[in-house]
Amino acid sequence: MERRSFIKGSFALATIGLLNPILFRHGLSAAEEAIEIPYNDLLNDYLAGKKAEDGSSIMSLNIPEAPENGAVVPVEVTINHPMTADNYISNITVLTTKNKVNKAISFDLTPANGIAYLYVNVKMGQTQDVVILAKTNKGQIFKASQSVRVALGGCG
Amino acid sequence: MELRGVVKILDQTYKVGDVVKAKIIVIHKMDTGFTKDKESGKVFPRFYMKEITATYNGATVAHFDLDVATSQNPVIQFPLKVTGPGTLVVDFVNSENEKAQKTVAITPAG
Repeated sequence: MERRSFIKGSFALATIGLLNPILFRHGLSAAEEAIEIPYNDLLNDYLAGKKAEDGSSIMSLNIPEAPENGAVVPVEVTINHPMTADNYISNITVLTTKNKVNKAISFDLTPANGIAYLYVNVKMGQTQDVVILAKTNKGQIFKASQSVRVALGGCG
Repeated sequence: MELRGVVKILDQTYKVGDVVKAKIIVIHKMDTGFTKDKESGKVFPRFYMKEITATYNGATVAHFDLDVATSQNPVIQFPLKVTGPGTLVVDFVNSENEKAQKTVAITPAG
């Protein structure tokens, strides 16, 4: 009997969680609560209805294909794009695809940066892709990705 | 616990108009909230570096929003166009709203 009520209770909790994903993610969640952020949610948030253009021709990525340890994967990106006052890259975002939380960093740039470049260390729980998204001040979005083979996972 | 961080300019010498790379290292945990302590089984709460803002002579030149997919003790490098002598002020805020500030002098040669 106890076991049954426990199962019922956990189902009820799960249902509330399913019905209110936004409430749980943004409203009530304390900072210390574990929150999973799926890759598709982040991507759709970033695109906001627009289409991403293939950025592999203008972005040069420097990411190891098989790093020794998934806990520290260096990600380096240089975007070959003008950085003038009226035409510049305004944001670079680094995402992973299969971590529990997939957002690594979002970097807001201005023309004062001179070039569009970012280096950051990312952790990866398993073999997956690193996705680099870049937005210009005119709203154009570029996307490039590279798969990274991880033998030893970096997060639980 | 006090936040510890390092900010430095990677280039040794540079002139006005050059693009230099600035490096930020923060000594900070990036706990996801999913990992457990192996001995006690207690979950490490979500605790991470949240925002880093770099200001060069009063203007914001870089703003970073971090989340727990960044590695522990995050290392960031970003470009900066030198427009004259001054200071680069970097502000750190973590998920517990603890703050720290580091400054580095920008001294172009010539």
